[in-house]
Amino acid sequence: MHLLKSRWKIALGVIPALLVYCIFSIIPIFISFYYSFMSWNGFSPMEYVGLANFKAIINDSVFWLSVRNNLIVVAASIFGQIPIALVLALLLNRKIKGAKFFRTIAFLPVVISTVVISLTWRMIYNVEQGLLNNLLDNLGLSALAQNWLGNPDYAMYAIAAVIIWQFVGLYFIIFLSALQTVPNEILEAAELDGATEWQKIRYVTLPSIWGVIIIAVILCISGSLKTFDLIYVMTGGGPANATEVMATYMYTETFQGLRYGYGSAISVLIFVFSITIIVLANLLLKKRGRKRA
Amino acid sequence: MQVDNVPRTPKPRKEINEKTARVKKQTKRTLIYLILSVFAIVNAYPIVWMILNSFKSGQDFALNPFGLPTEWVWTNYVEAWFTANINTYFFNSVFVGGVAVVLTVFFGALASYFLARFRFKGQKLLYSFFILGLLVPIHATLVPMFILMQNIGLLDTRLALILPYIAFNLSITIFLLTSFMKSFPKEIEESAIMDGAGVYKIFWSIILPMTRPVLATAIIINFINNWNEFSFALVLINDDMLRTLPLGLANFAGQHSTNYTAQMAALTIVLVPTILFYLFMEKQIVEGMTQGAVKG
Repeated sequence: MHLLKSRWKIALGVIPALLVYCIFSIIPIFISFYYSFMSWNGFSPMEYVGLANFKAIINDSVFWLSVRNNLIVVAASIFGQIPIALVLALLLNRKIKGAKFFRTIAFLPVVISTVVISLTWRMIYNVEQGLLNNLLDNLGLSALAQNWLGNPDYAMYAIAAVIIWQFVGLYFIIFLSALQTVPNEILEAAELDGATEWQKIRYVTLPSIWGVIIIAVILCISGSLKTFDLIYVMTGGGPANATEVMATYMYTETFQGLRYGYGSAISVLIFVFSITIIVLANLLLKKRGRKRA
Repeated sequence: MQVDNVPRTPKPRKEINEKTARVKKQTKRTLIYLILSVFAIVNAYPIVWMILNSFKSGQDFALNPFGLPTEWVWTNYVEAWFTANINTYFFNSVFVGGVAVVLTVFFGALASYFLARFRFKGQKLLYSFFILGLLVPIHATLVPMFILMQNIGLLDTRLALILPYIAFNLSITIFLLTSFMKSFPKEIEESAIMDGAGVYKIFWSIILPMTRPVLATAIIINFINNWNEFSFALVLINDDMLRTLPLGLANFAGQHSTNYTAQMAALTIVLVPTILFYLFMEKQIVEGMTQGAVKG
């Protein structure tokens, strides 16, 4: 391709993107690390406190509650979204009428703004006028009606259900396009050998899209750690911190509690958790790849 | 006669076999449709329910939460539009999202061009560095972003949103554009060089037009991301006149938490353009989002 002759022209082309990207995406991460060693309410001068913020976090029961809730989201995503999406994709991966319609409907929630989804579901979970309790009443199951978002025992699971609902479509589409790459010849050969539908799925289809499934699991995990808008709008982390996740706790501590250093320390932990999981998952992927090769 | 009879006897049995096979196939098909339909209803009904109820009076909604409105109350929409300031938020979202998209795609395309079509020292490293951005969790940058914007005096301005929107969408944009531009044959630029065209002339009049299909995808994905963005807007914007739609909507719902039908009307006003846009652009949206997702 072109030669180094135009080096300054290359620089001219790449630098605008690089500048904005560094200043507003990469550098803030490092500033977070710096702030996390400070005690500071946003106005007074910063005071260096070493690891005090991190030590305080270790003893902060609300923080650990938020980690637990993040893990509930992770579990709901992995064990809810992935199997549902996979089953639906397997069902739709054939010539049937209306396939396009189901695909369109499936992906719809993925495109809708999380704030709109949060507000809609807040009304669905509403105690008196909500869709869910009314539906239960009509089915003669009034005993099951709950104050879904107001009861600390149920709120987190109610939210996890919405998260599953919102993103099943994404994984469904990912799996569907992966399934279309599975070579037909192998499936036909298996059929000639007398393999049942289930055996074909178990021994041919699933192994050939295994890589995509693992990628989907990684996406689920990293997406779950990013959960913020949905919970912020639906419950604000309440009742009594029952739906707090790391990001909402970081927001409340920093901008409402005015503990910038402490909030930054939580930010650092969010970053560290995310990167660790992605690196681990990548290692796992590579290991699998080597095994297969 | 008897010769005729011999082949006839097995025939009915075969017919029965075929029939059971057909019945089996039919049941299977029905079952598949049943499962898919249940899924479609669960997926779409909450949204339909919300839209239908946006046309009811408060009383109608309380008494009749499922059916069609007994009377179509359009005033909910008038109320939502005016008291929720939706026109202001709408304009803000379009402006901030639009400017950010244009700049992201322009800067991104330029960078992608050099990353895809040239060979220079550190090129691979630079590409990986840009793609790394897909891993940066937005919420870990909120505190420093707030302080940064405060220090450079941009807090509570439109630019405070535009800049991070560009930064956080560059990775996916560069990823999409670079891989597409790499696929062009090497000879593309040669004749242009013979004609004495400069690097930037080639970018503008050859590469960019050829990239059009993926540019469209990148623009759509960028716009959807910006249109739905909430966290930065929450932290960086305080002035009600500068709020974007998601932020304004959340705020409106907080203030009118018991006026459900007006809330639903406001949600519908925001939702319907998104759905229409999605239906028109479905293929590009789905492809772009899944590609972005798989990489992120």
